[in-house]
Amino acid sequence: MSSLMSQARVRVQRPATRTAVAAVERARLALVPVRVTRAPRMPFAVLVFAVLGAGVVGLLMFNTHMQQGSFYATRLQARADTLTAREQSLQRQLDHLRDPQGLAVAGKRLGLVAPGVPAFVDLATGKVVGKPTPATTADAVRINPRPPALPSPLNPPPLIIKVKAPVTGTTTTTTTTTTTGSTGKVGTGTQTRTGTGHASTKTGAGTGRNVSATPAHGAHR
Amino acid sequence: MTQPPRSPRPRAGSGSRSLRGSSELRLRIALIVIAMVLSVFGVRLFQLQGLDPKAYAARADAESLVTVPLPATRGEITDRNGVPLAETVSGMMIVADPLRTRPHAEQIARILANQLHLDYFTVLASLLKQAPANKPDIRFAYIARRVPATQATAAAAAVTKAGYKGIETRPDPLRDYPANDIAANLLGFLNTDGKPLAGLELTFNNRLAGKGGSETYEVGGGNRIPLGENTETKPVNGKNLTLTIDRDVQWYAQRVLRTAVQGSDAQSGTAIALDTKTGEILALADYPSYDANDPGASSKNDRGSRALTETYEPGSVEKVLTTSSLINAGKVTPRTRIRVPHTLPVMDRTIHDYFDHGNIHLTLAGVIAKSSNIGTVLATRQFTHSQLWNYLNDFGLGHNPDIGMPNENSGVLPALPTWTDLTQATVAFGQGVSVNALQMATAVNAVANGGELVTPSLIKGSATTTTGAKVGTALTQRRRVISAAAATAESRMMEMVTTLGAGTAPAAGITGYRVAGKTGTAQEVGAACRCYDGSLDVSFAGFAPADNPRFTVYVVIKKPKNGGSGGGTAGPVFRQILSYLLQKYSVPPTNTPPAHLPVTW
Repeated sequence: MSSLMSQARVRVQRPATRTAVAAVERARLALVPVRVTRAPRMPFAVLVFAVLGAGVVGLLMFNTHMQQGSFYATRLQARADTLTAREQSLQRQLDHLRDPQGLAVAGKRLGLVAPGVPAFVDLATGKVVGKPTPATTADAVRINPRPPALPSPLNPPPLIIKVKAPVTGTTTTTTTTTTTGSTGKVGTGTQTRTGTGHASTKTGAGTGRNVSATPAHGAHR
Repeated sequence: MTQPPRSPRPRAGSGSRSLRGSSELRLRIALIVIAMVLSVFGVRLFQLQGLDPKAYAARADAESLVTVPLPATRGEITDRNGVPLAETVSGMMIVADPLRTRPHAEQIARILANQLHLDYFTVLASLLKQAPANKPDIRFAYIARRVPATQATAAAAAVTKAGYKGIETRPDPLRDYPANDIAANLLGFLNTDGKPLAGLELTFNNRLAGKGGSETYEVGGGNRIPLGENTETKPVNGKNLTLTIDRDVQWYAQRVLRTAVQGSDAQSGTAIALDTKTGEILALADYPSYDANDPGASSKNDRGSRALTETYEPGSVEKVLTTSSLINAGKVTPRTRIRVPHTLPVMDRTIHDYFDHGNIHLTLAGVIAKSSNIGTVLATRQFTHSQLWNYLNDFGLGHNPDIGMPNENSGVLPALPTWTDLTQATVAFGQGVSVNALQMATAVNAVANGGELVTPSLIKGSATTTTGAKVGTALTQRRRVISAAAATAESRMMEMVTTLGAGTAPAAGITGYRVAGKTGTAQEVGAACRCYDGSLDVSFAGFAPADNPRFTVYVVIKKPKNGGSGGGTAGPVFRQILSYLLQKYSVPPTNTPPAHLPVTW
C-alpha cells in the first residue's frame, strides 16, 4: 500500500516542481504602492437627496393627482346623475306619449273610429277574411271623461211647488222666488215657469198633484 | 430615571459642592417638570382613550364622514308585453328654509310657481311659514314633492341664479303611472312616504320594494377623500312584476265600460276579459275607478277592484252552469222539450219569468235563449240537492280566486245542509247565491274551454305575496268539471242567445263570427233593507269564436237606472270588448255553420 503511494508521489512530483519554478520565474513579488481610495461623498449625498426629493415630489404629485381624480369623479358623478334624471324624464315623456289614451285622442282627431266588426286581409292570397262592415254610432266610445258637473249655484235642485186644489172658482196667485231669481207663478190649475229668456207653460189638473218646476238655468243643460 | 444615582454624592461631598449641587438641582427640577407634564398627558390620554373613547371617535368622524342612503329602486309593474304600468323615476322634493326665504318670498314664489306649475299662493304660504309664538323658528317647509329630478334641479337653480337663498332639493323617488287610470284598480298606489296603500303595490310590496343600502365616506370640501374611509352597503333593487294584462285591451275595456255605465246612469260596472285556454286575465276593468297618479281626487270606495271585492247575485248567467251540469249528467239535451207554465209555485213562493207568457213550449236551448227561470227550475228538478251543489262547487263558486289582489271576496254558495227546494230552484237561475265577477267569468270560461276549468291568473310566471302565497301563471291549475261534449252542447245553446230572432241579446253578436253568450238580470239586495229593493244587476258572459273559443268576456253593470237588461245594456259592452280582442289578436272567423237549434216545439 505504502509502496504504491510513494510510487504515485514520485510520479507526480516531477511535473509539479516544474510548474512551480515556472510560476516563480514568471511572477516575481514586487511592492505594490498603497492606494488610498476615498469614495467622494458628494455623489452619494446627491443621490440620497435626489431619491428623497424624488420620493417627496412623487408622493406629492401622486396625492395631487388622486385629489384631482376625486374632483373629476365628483363632477362626473354629478353629470351622470343629471343625465340619468334626464333619461328617466325623457323615458317618462315617451311612456306618456305611448299612453293609449293619448293615441286614441290623436286618432279621434284624425277621424278614426273603432271598427264594430273585425275583418282582415290575408296578405298571402289577398282575400278578405270576415265581413268588413262600416262602424255605426252603436260602436262609439266616449274616450274622454264627462265634463265635471256644474257647481250647485249654477245647477240648483228642482223646485217643487205643491198646488192646493182650489175650493171654489176664486183665483189666488202666489209668487215664489227661486234661488236663481226665476219666478214660478201659480194660478188656478195653471202653472207658468219663467226663466231667463225661456218660458214654458204646464197645465196641472188642479187636483193637488206635485208639479216640478225646474228653473230655466238647470233646464238649459 | 426619576432616581438619580446616589453613589457620587458622598464621594463628591466636600470638594466642589456648589457647582455640582446646582447642576443636580437643575436636573432634578427639569425631571420634576417633565414628570408633571408627562403625567398631565397621561391623565388626558386616559381620559380620552379610557373613559369615553367612542364619543370622541364619533365626533371626529362626524366632522368629515358622510353617510348617503342608497335607495333601492322599486320594481316596475309591466303589462304582458313589457309596457310599464308603474315605474319609479328619480324624483326630488323641493324644500324651503322659511327663515331665509321670508324676505324675498314673493319673488321666489313667482319663480317656483312658474317653473313647477304650482299655485302661487300655496307656494307663498310655505315660504312665509311662521312658527307659533315662543316656539323655535321653522327651518323646513315642503314646496313640492315627487318632482322629476330635472325639473326640480332646474327650478332650484333658477332661484339661486336670481340671487335668492333658502331653496334646496332632496332625493324623493317618484312612482309614476304612465297611463294614469289604466289598470289603476289593479295596480294600487303609494302614499307620499312611499308606502303602498292598495292593489298589487300592496300585496307584492316585498317583491317590489327591494332593500335600501347606504354608503359612508370621508369628504373634504365637498369632494370625496381618496383612500379615505369608505364603506358601502349595496342596495338590492326591487324585482319587476309582469301582469297578464294587455294595456291596450284594458284601456279599451275601461273606456267602453265607462261609456256604458254613464250612458245607463248605473252605479258601477265591471268587465273582465280572459284568455280562454290559459285563464290569463287580459283586462279587468272597473268603473268608477281613479287616477293612480292622483288617488286623493277620487272617493275611497273607487280605489279598489269591485270585480274582486264586491259580491252580487249572478242572475241568469248562472243558468249556463246549471244547464251544462244537467247535460253533463245526462239528464237533458239541448233539444229536451219543456212545458213552461205562466208561473211556478215553489214552497211558499212563486217563480216568474221576466217576460210575460202563457203556457209555452220551449226546448232547453229555448230556455237558455229566452232566459226562462221557470224552464230552468223545471229542468233542475232532475238533480238532487247535492248534485247541483257539487257541480257549482266544482265550477268554483264560493271559492276565492286567489290571484294576488287584496281583499278578494269569495262569495257565498249556501251550505248544503241549509239547502231547500226553494234554494235549489233560485240558485238554478242565479238568485240566492253570491259571487264576485271573476269567479263567474272563470266558471263560464270552463264551458268555453271544453269543460275544463282553468284557474285565472293576473301575474305572469310566479310571485309571492306579502302573506307568503304563491300566485301566477306558473301555478295555473286545471280540472275537468263537465265533459267536452256537454261543453260543446252548452256552447251551441249559448250561440242561440246572440242569434237574431231566437235569443235575448242579438246586440251582442258580431257579424261573421260565432259568438256564444248568456244574458243575466239579477235583483240586487239593497243595502238599507237587506231585501230585493227593485234595483237590478245586468250582466253578459260569453266567448268567441264559439267552436274554438279564444276569449271569454264577462260584463256586469250594477243598478242601471234606464231599466236596462243584460242583453241591451251589458251586451253591447261585451260585443265591443270581444270584437276589439278578436281584431287585436288577429282571430279570423272560423267560417263554420252557426248553431241551429230549435227554440220552441
